[in-house]
Amino acid sequence: MIGAERFKVFSIVYGLAYMALFFYSESTKYAIFRYYPVLGAFYRDAQPMETAGPPILWYSWLAGAAVVSAVVSLIVPRTWAARLPQEWVWGVPAALLVGILVYERRWFY
Amino acid sequence: MIQILLIVHGLTAIGLLGAITHQAFSVARRPGPTHSFVNRFRGVNPSTFTNAVVVMFVATFILGGLLYPRYRIDVRPLLEDMQLRAANGVFETKEHFAAVGLGLLPAYWLYWRLPLARDSARTRKYLTWTLAAVVWWNFLVGQVLNNIKGLFP
Repeated sequence: MIGAERFKVFSIVYGLAYMALFFYSESTKYAIFRYYPVLGAFYRDAQPMETAGPPILWYSWLAGAAVVSAVVSLIVPRTWAARLPQEWVWGVPAALLVGILVYERRWFY
Repeated sequence: MIQILLIVHGLTAIGLLGAITHQAFSVARRPGPTHSFVNRFRGVNPSTFTNAVVVMFVATFILGGLLYPRYRIDVRPLLEDMQLRAANGVFETKEHFAAVGLGLLPAYWLYWRLPLARDSARTRKYLTWTLAAVVWWNFLVGQVLNNIKGLFP
């Protein structure tokens, strides 16, 4: 299948991009966009908690990761993509899952 | 409406759980007596589950995404009021796991498409197990959070 190797790149990059966007939001409080369920609307900037309620940033991390990984998978030459070790395809996401559990243990103390 | 969405989300999650568990067991197949329950459970053609897993993962994910605003407004503040910090924490792992699982799907589909490449059997196995770990974790977390008032009265 033409371009199938790009799927590998997409899968490797997606989780990394998602977590990068999450950590960036955590450290800077910046998000590409925010969804305010109380208002039922998307905003670029943070809205006042008293009137807008809590924001959801998750959608922006998902969308951002999709764009980044799609662009990277299209840019990377097919020969490079084919040379990527197969272990990376499952190893990177598996490592991310472990990293998530380690990071989120902060909620248990 | 939200109750219907929640029930459909749960049903697609159960279907996904069954499909990925069959596939995860089948790639770990070892020779054994064919009359044992475990070997019969393993003894399926794993590639037949691939498209079903992809479709049900995406469907479950979309339904979860549609339910998320209601969780953010109604459930999370309740958990905070009940001092259930850990419950909020496990939900955070659920949303991250779901995202990582979603990103995994293109590679998962690629390695399971027919004809199966013989030199990719190990990759298929670990991709399936990683996805199965995501699905099981998210299913269990979802069930605990859904029943949290009963579990932690």
